[in-house]
Amino acid sequence: MTTAAVRVNDVSKKFRLYHERNQTLKSAIMRGRTSVHDDFWALNDIDFEVPQGSTFGLIGSNGSGKSTLLKCLAKIYWPDKGTITYNGKMAALLEVGSGFHHELSGRENIYLNGSILGMSKKEIDRKYDEIVAFSGVEQFIDQPVKNYSSGMYVRLGFSIAIHVEPDILVVDEVLAVGDAEFQEKCFGKFREFKRDGRTVILVSHAMPTVTAMCDQAAWINKGKLMTVGPVLDAVAAYTGSLDLES
Amino acid sequence: MQYLREVLSAKELLANLTLREVKGKYKRTIFGQLWSLANPLAQMLIYTFIFSVIFTQTAPTGSPSGLKSYALFLLCALLPWLFFAGVVNAGTSSLVSNTGLIQKVYFPRIVLPLSQVGAVGFNWLFEMAVLAIALSLFGNFVLPWIPMVLLVMIILAVFAAGVGLLLSVANVYFRDTEHLLSIVLQIWMYLTPIIYKVEFVQNKSDQLGGLLGTPVTLIDLYRLNPMEHFVEVFRALLYDNRFPDWGDLITCVVWAVVAFVAGFVLFARKEKGLAEAL
Repeated sequence: MTTAAVRVNDVSKKFRLYHERNQTLKSAIMRGRTSVHDDFWALNDIDFEVPQGSTFGLIGSNGSGKSTLLKCLAKIYWPDKGTITYNGKMAALLEVGSGFHHELSGRENIYLNGSILGMSKKEIDRKYDEIVAFSGVEQFIDQPVKNYSSGMYVRLGFSIAIHVEPDILVVDEVLAVGDAEFQEKCFGKFREFKRDGRTVILVSHAMPTVTAMCDQAAWINKGKLMTVGPVLDAVAAYTGSLDLES
Repeated sequence: MQYLREVLSAKELLANLTLREVKGKYKRTIFGQLWSLANPLAQMLIYTFIFSVIFTQTAPTGSPSGLKSYALFLLCALLPWLFFAGVVNAGTSSLVSNTGLIQKVYFPRIVLPLSQVGAVGFNWLFEMAVLAIALSLFGNFVLPWIPMVLLVMIILAVFAAGVGLLLSVANVYFRDTEHLLSIVLQIWMYLTPIIYKVEFVQNKSDQLGGLLGTPVTLIDLYRLNPMEHFVEVFRALLYDNRFPDWGDLITCVVWAVVAFVAGFVLFARKEKGLAEAL
């Protein structure tokens, strides 16, 4: 029995659906209240464990709440109920290149972005060459990133993020970046992660990707956890429900 | 407590974000860092022209320094004020303008407003160094007071950081904050003895006596403004070359501590909801 890398305990997340929202002082004072709203529970008592060293997929239709769950896992949203506990260092990759400063060079942005993602200067110094080599923008590393093509931009961003080397990596569908060659490199990096016994949590719409990469998966529908278990079972349950609808 | 530890562990990120602001600000300008002097110099020229040339006012004499220059008298107070206003302005919009970052990456959000203190402070340090040189050229003996000036600069930075933290959160919930702020800062500046000396208010207050039959005088109300005390301290050190009034100094420290603790506590409480509220 392996230990859990991430333990999600009865997590619920509520959003407010505003009928009236007074974000200006005038309206707040005039109406005597800041908002009128209904509660909408985007997640309802989600409870599962992600085993250590596994690659774990989160699947579901649009609006099912899987992105909300991902943001809770990434500590961007805080659950209204329940807790999430981590066994190790967590890093999230929801968007590549967030926090890049356009006027600064690729080199300066590696240090800036690396520290936003939680790396120390020493760590970045050590991994610097590897990051640059992986991104494949060696030639342009001293150019301001605003002159980068969009492909170079995301490759550099992805390369920094992947080199944070956390124990637990939370990834959104950012795999669809770069050309086929770069994607192959990314998959290779994920396999390496797995070999090192790190845990990856992945959200994707692409079932082939999920079945190819993950060994465990959870299917979420309308904020509720439907199935959790081996990837083929979860994917089968999910696609089965789609066939049933159509 | 755990929050405090997390914030402390992010000091490298804070340094990097500060550096991003500093490096990015004057990138691709010909004059670079010199632009940081342009704004205070322009204001100095305007006020000096109005007060010394048009109104033909005599500049106050520094005692014991004996310095008599309206332009320098003004700058000793204007530079600290512009720093304060700059930090509060940039700090207030720091969360809203980094929405993309806050919604995509987890890090202690407090570094965003705090990095503005560092970035504006860096320019301020440069400006103050130039002022110190100018004062020395005019015969002021500034050198022995520099450690004390640096200490008061840190106290003002703490105060500005506290106000910036409070307003940055307020701005997330009420976007009016940053628009209202520019007006408030303008009024605040004239309520602070920057372009005039505090004796004017003192004289007026003595004439009026207790307001509305109470023992409260105009100067009592006037002195509720924390920036008045900061400005007095900076002027005593730089323009007069004397040790500032202990009352002013203690008031500055108290305001700084109160503002920072209030800002920090509010921030710690609201931080978790920021990604949603933005």
